[in-house]
Amino acid sequence: MAEDFLQVEQLSKSFGETEVVAGVSFRVQRQEIFGLLGPNGAGKTTTIRMLATVLQPTAGEAFIGGHSLTAAGAAVRRLIGVCPQELALYPELSAQDNLVFFGRMAGLSGKEARAAAQENLEVVGLLEVAGRRVATFSGGMKRRVNLAISLMNRPQLLFLDEPTVGIDPQSRNRIFETVEGLRDEGVTILYTTHYMEEADRLCDRLGIMDQGRLIALGSPQELKATIGDPHQVTLEQVFLELTGRRLRDTA
Amino acid sequence: MRAGFAGLNRAGLLAVLEIRRMLVNWGELAFGLALPVVLFALMYGAFGQDVVFRGTAQVVDRDGGAEARAFVEQLDALPEISVRERSLSDAERALDRSAILLAIVIPPGFSEGLERGETVSLRFLQHGNGGDEGQVVAALARAVALGLAREAGLRTQLAAALGEGEVSLTQDLRRQIDATVAELRTAGPAVGVQVRMIDEGNPDFIHRMVAGLLVMFVMFSVTLSSQYLVEERQLGTLERLLTTRMNARELFLGKFLAGIARGAVQAVLLLVLAFGTFRLGGVAEFGGMLLLTALLLAAVSAIGLVIGALAQTPDQASWAATFLTTYMAIFGGNFIAISGEGVLGWISQFTLNRHVIDAMIAVLSQGESAWQQVGAIALMLVTALLGLLLARWAFRFSDAGAVA
Repeated sequence: MAEDFLQVEQLSKSFGETEVVAGVSFRVQRQEIFGLLGPNGAGKTTTIRMLATVLQPTAGEAFIGGHSLTAAGAAVRRLIGVCPQELALYPELSAQDNLVFFGRMAGLSGKEARAAAQENLEVVGLLEVAGRRVATFSGGMKRRVNLAISLMNRPQLLFLDEPTVGIDPQSRNRIFETVEGLRDEGVTILYTTHYMEEADRLCDRLGIMDQGRLIALGSPQELKATIGDPHQVTLEQVFLELTGRRLRDTA
Repeated sequence: MRAGFAGLNRAGLLAVLEIRRMLVNWGELAFGLALPVVLFALMYGAFGQDVVFRGTAQVVDRDGGAEARAFVEQLDALPEISVRERSLSDAERALDRSAILLAIVIPPGFSEGLERGETVSLRFLQHGNGGDEGQVVAALARAVALGLAREAGLRTQLAAALGEGEVSLTQDLRRQIDATVAELRTAGPAVGVQVRMIDEGNPDFIHRMVAGLLVMFVMFSVTLSSQYLVEERQLGTLERLLTTRMNARELFLGKFLAGIARGAVQAVLLLVLAFGTFRLGGVAEFGGMLLLTALLLAAVSAIGLVIGALAQTPDQASWAATFLTTYMAIFGGNFIAISGEGVLGWISQFTLNRHVIDAMIAVLSQGESAWQQVGAIALMLVTALLGLLLARWAFRFSDAGAVA
């Protein structure tokens, strides 16, 4: 039986009176790509921010590689890489400098950081423009830099929060290849997206969240089977069946 | 020990990153360096040299004779004076509406009187004392009139010595007398007018201006350092940093050092210019000023971080920093000495400016060392330390600071 690398137990987060994440529990095995789906405001990003040690949970606990999220944040940070939904880059600096800086912050020496930057820029297909200022990059290129930064500390668990939003098919495809390559190298990945075909292609298992709660859990095939023939039903149909057709405009 | 060193290293790297970001932004860098130079140049222009008087003489020539014209021409020839001729009614109207404060009236019979060797008078029409410009113009007019009177007297004496009246002067001799008088006229007088306010000549005044300008520039760093965290939040890099090994303590230390380093670039430039131009002192004075400036930068950088930790938007941070800087500049006596008494004196006690400027002036004017400014040094160190602690504490209440 495969080892659970991430264990989430009754994780909750409230902002004032508003409960954004309500007792979410799930497990992710090592080398698994786990997709977290849900409409806007479902609590996906808040869950990732808690697991990435950025937000303090109101209740519950999580363990990453055996380390408690609430008691051993520093140990957890050594194991994780975070690719946030919004670009998190210094636009005045080159792609190479961005990667080297965050590599140094992750504990690499200067030499190690430079070597890792070269390697990761090659992985995302940006080695030729490594010295160019990020401000001059297209949206897709910036997304790939964003992803490359999250790989600098060779994470064992990688959080990818909607990494393909608003980019061209070529960049999206390169990101898919990178994610699959990382999985093959042993990296565990927690992936959120609004694109159902993306989740269907990449994820081994999925959790669907709505209004702060995890309302479904299983492989894409298992989830499809809940509403019909898995070969006929799409993941989008499952999603709409479970979360409804009402518009969700919550920020 | 090793972890502590690594933490310091990360804080240092963050500070270096801020400096690099400033250096690659050429526009911002040029502005940051040009601003102190421009302000200093203005200051030098205003206080660094003598002020040469320039004035306009409002003249009403009611005589129109040769001596009256000579008076106008000689007055106009003075480098400090330009002449504007008016009619009497025009001059009176201008005086009535205070457009001018003094007019010089050459009365009828002025030329004839002078030529006959009689005592003649110029009339000054003036509002009050005629104003600063009017008084100087009047003094110069008196000097020119006196010169004309002496010329006329010389002519009269020469004519008398040569027995004019009994023996008629030849045309050649008369021309010779006129040529000699004209030569004497062009030879002098060589006295110009330079006005120098007593305060401006006082070294204390220059010292206060230099200290005030320096402190004002350092205070601008509040705005810069208040933006660091807000900007980092907006870029999304704050959360990313906090998922690395960097903790909030290192984050604040890095931003604190960056604030000091960025402000120091401008402050050192200003100090070098001031010492070079006004010869404010030697190495001890320069070192003392540098120390006080560095401590003020530390205090100001920490205050900026408090604002940055509390502000949610760049506008909030900018307004808070601007308010604080303005408060300090107005009530801290950047350019005026504030006595310890009264409401202003009481309020000024609650500004960093007041204390650090007093300390700087003591170093520059009274020959004291920076280390003797114990009160100011303690105040700035305590402000820096408390500011850092308060900023860290305030940051805990933000989303990103809750765990870090």
